[in-house]
Amino acid sequence: MATEIPIIMIREIAYTYPNGTEALKNINLNIFKGELVAIMGKNGAGKTSLIRTLNGLIIPTQGNIYIDNESISSKSIATLSKKVGIIFQNPFHQLFSNSVEEEIKFSLKSFVLDKEEIQIRINKILHEFNLEKYRKRSPLNLSGGESKKLAIASIICRDPEILVFDEPTLGQDAKEIEFFINLIKNERKRGKTIIIITHNIEFAYEYLPRTILMTDGQIIADGPTKEILNNEILIQQTSLILPQIWQFRSALKENNFPKTGDILSKNALISYIRNYLKNKSLKI
Amino acid sequence: MSLEFLNAFKFMKKNSILHNLDPRAKLVFSIVYTICALLFTEIIPLLFIFLSLVPLILIGKLFKQWIKSIRGLSFLIIFIIILNTLFISLSFAIAMILRIYIMISAFSIFFLTVDPNDLALSLISMKIPYEFAFAFSLAFRFVPTIANEAQNILDAQQSRGYEMQKKGLINQIKNLFPLLIPLIICSIKRAFNVAEALESRAFGSRKERTYYYSIKYTLKDWIFTMYLLLFLTFTIFIRIQFNFLPEFLMWSLPV
Amino acid sequence: MDLIKFENFYYRYKGNEEYALNNINLKIEDNKFILLCGETGSGKTTLIRCMNGLIPQFYAGFYKGKVEFWNGKNTVETPIADLSTEIGIVFQNPENQLIAMNVEHEIAFGLENLGVPVKEISKRIKESASITEIEHILDKAPFELSGGEQQRVAIASILVLEPKILILDEPTALLDPYMANKIINLLNEIKSEKNISILISEHRLDLILPFSQQIILIKNGSIIEHGYSEQVINGINFQTLRLNKPVIYSIFSTLKKENLYNKNIPASIPEAVRSLK
Repeated sequence: MATEIPIIMIREIAYTYPNGTEALKNINLNIFKGELVAIMGKNGAGKTSLIRTLNGLIIPTQGNIYIDNESISSKSIATLSKKVGIIFQNPFHQLFSNSVEEEIKFSLKSFVLDKEEIQIRINKILHEFNLEKYRKRSPLNLSGGESKKLAIASIICRDPEILVFDEPTLGQDAKEIEFFINLIKNERKRGKTIIIITHNIEFAYEYLPRTILMTDGQIIADGPTKEILNNEILIQQTSLILPQIWQFRSALKENNFPKTGDILSKNALISYIRNYLKNKSLKI
Repeated sequence: MSLEFLNAFKFMKKNSILHNLDPRAKLVFSIVYTICALLFTEIIPLLFIFLSLVPLILIGKLFKQWIKSIRGLSFLIIFIIILNTLFISLSFAIAMILRIYIMISAFSIFFLTVDPNDLALSLISMKIPYEFAFAFSLAFRFVPTIANEAQNILDAQQSRGYEMQKKGLINQIKNLFPLLIPLIICSIKRAFNVAEALESRAFGSRKERTYYYSIKYTLKDWIFTMYLLLFLTFTIFIRIQFNFLPEFLMWSLPV
Repeated sequence: MDLIKFENFYYRYKGNEEYALNNINLKIEDNKFILLCGETGSGKTTLIRCMNGLIPQFYAGFYKGKVEFWNGKNTVETPIADLSTEIGIVFQNPENQLIAMNVEHEIAFGLENLGVPVKEISKRIKESASITEIEHILDKAPFELSGGEQQRVAIASILVLEPKILILDEPTALLDPYMANKIINLLNEIKSEKNISILISEHRLDLILPFSQQIILIKNGSIIEHGYSEQVINGINFQTLRLNKPVIYSIFSTLKKENLYNKNIPASIPEAVRSLK
C-alpha cells in the first residue's frame, strides 16, 4: 500500500458557499482503492460538502483533487459521475420514470451502449437487487425500503469505481441494513472503493474499518474506526456517543469489575462476561 | 436568468425605519410608485422618480440586495433596449427601462422589508379570510425550503449523469422532467405533511381566532402614508400640466 | 387509566386493497413511556395517525371498529381540532411542521387556532419554552435552527396544547447521536414533570430501550405483542422481528442461549451491570 497511489487524493481544499458559510477548511485526505471508509461528525460539519467535491457538484475555491491520479478540476460533473457514484439520502429526489426499468435505463443514458447491452445490465441489476418483480411498476409506488434500493441500483448499474453513500441506514430496519451490508461487501469484492457518511455508530464500529471525523469543516481524526470511536474526547467534540461496547466497559470499570482494561473488542467483552458468569456460578 | 435575482425579494430581518413600518404603509408605497412610473414615458420625470427611491433604499439598508436585483435584470434590459430601439426609439427604450426599474424596486423593497407574518396580518386587516392570508404567508415560508429541495434534486440527478440540455426547445423541456417530477412529488408530499401537522394543531377549527401578534398603524406610518399621497398628487399634477412645463422635462435622445 | 382504546379496529387507505391495520386491540395508558416498534412498512405511522383522528377524518379510507378516548370522545365523531388538546403528535420531519416565521409564534400557533386569550398564550409559551430549553431562541426563524433545536421547537409547540399524551414518529431520525440522546432524555423529563404519556415510534432502539416502560410490537399491520419492557424484550417476538436490536441485547441473548445467563435481558447499560453483580 505504501507505493500505491491513492485513488482519491485531496490536497488542501477549501470551500465557502456563496452566502459566506465556510463549509470546508484546508482538507487533506488520501483514500486507497478498495477501502471502506466512514465519514462521521456533527450535522453541519462539512460531510456532505466534502463528498460533493468528489463528483464536481462543488468546486473547491482552493486546492486540488485527484481521482485515479488525474486532476478533476477541468472535468464535468457528467464525466466525474461515471467514476464517482454518489447516492444521496432521499430516493424521491431522483425517482421520476414510468417504471423501475425506465429508471435504470435513464441512469445508463450517458453511456454509449447498444440496446442489448442495456437490457443485459438492466436484467442483471434488477436481479441483484431483488427488484425484478417490480420491473414494470412505477417507482413512486414502491415502499420506502424498495425505493431506496432502486436509488442505489440506479447508481451501481453505472459501475462507478468509487461509491459514496449519504446516510444509507437512516430509517431502515435490520433486514434492510443487512441487505446493504451484503451489497457493500459484494462491491468491495469487485474492487470498488466505498465511502459512507453515517451517524450509525454501531454500524460503523462493526463494518467500517476506517473513520474520518469532521468538525467545523475540518478533519480532526482519521484512522481505524475501533480506536477513534474509543476516544472520549473526539466523541465529545463531534456530537457522537460511544459504541455500546465501550459504554459497557466504562460502566464495568466504574463498578469496580476487575481487569476491564483487557476488553479491547466485542468478542473480548463477550468472553469476559462469559468467564465472569462461569466463575460466579462456580463460586455458588 | 440567474436565480440570484430572486434574492431581491427575500425578506431579511433588519432594524431600520423602513423595516419597522406597518406593512400596509409599504403596500401603499409600492402601489404609489407603480402608478407614478406608469404615468410617464419621458426619461427625465422617470429619472427623478427613480432617484427618489434611493434615499429609501439607503434608509432601509437594502442597497446590496437591491443592486443584486438590478444585476439580475440586466439580461432582460438588453433585450428590451434592442426591441424598443428597433421599433420606436432609444429614448423610449431607456424610459421603459427606468419604468421597469422603478416598479421592480418598489415591490422588491416591499418584499425585502415585510415579514411574511405581518403580510398575512395586513391581508387579514383588509378583511381577507384567514385561510387565504395564511396560505399566502405559508408559500413565502416554504420558498427557501423548496429552492433547497430543487438544488438537492439537481445534485441527485447530476450524480446519475443527467445533464442540462443546451439545444432544441422541445429537448430542453423534455429534459426538465427529471427535475420537475421529483420536485412536484416532493412538494405534494410536503403539502400533505404540513396539512396533517396543521390539522393536528386545530388549524381552521374556530371562526374566532386569537392573534398573538398584531400590527398597528402608528404616527410614523401615517406620516409616511401622507408623504406618499402628496408625492402621488404632485406627480399626477405634473402629468396633467406636462405640456405647460419647461422643455427640459421632455428631453429625449436624438435617436 | 386507559387514555386511548382501539377496539377491533381495521383500516385501509383509499385505493388500497390491503388493510394497513388489522384487528387492532390496544390500550394506551396514562403516564407511561411507550416504545412502538416494528419493521419498516409494518404500520407504525398509520397507527399513530389513528390516535388523533387524522385517520379516518383526514386520510379517507375504509375502517371497521372504533378508537375511543378516556373521556368518551372518539376518532370518528370528535373533530381533530377537539382532540388536539388531548393527543399531541410530533411528526417525522420537523421542517414540515414549523410554519411560523419565528419560534415564539410557532409555539403560539396551536393556541391561536383554539382561540385561547393572549395572556394565557403568553404564559403557556413561557412554560413550554422553559421545559424544552428554548427560551434563548424565541426570536429566531425556524430555518436558522439546528436539527436538535427544530425538534425541541416542534415538541414545545405541541406541548403547549397540554395534551395527556405526546406521540412522536421517529423523532431522532435526522439527529446526530448526541442530540438524539438529549431529546429522548428531554422527553423522559417532560413525562415526569407533566405526568403525561410519551409514545415513540423508533428504529434506534438502543436510545429508547433504557427509558421505555412498555413496548408495542407491530407486524404487518397487527399488534403482535404489547407489554412491559422486561417481558417483551425477553420474548420470542422481539427476538424474531428484524429490528435494530442493541448490542447488549445480542450479547446477553447469546449468553442466555449458552445457559450462562438466566435473568432478564437488560435494556440499558446500567441494568446490564446490575444484572451481572
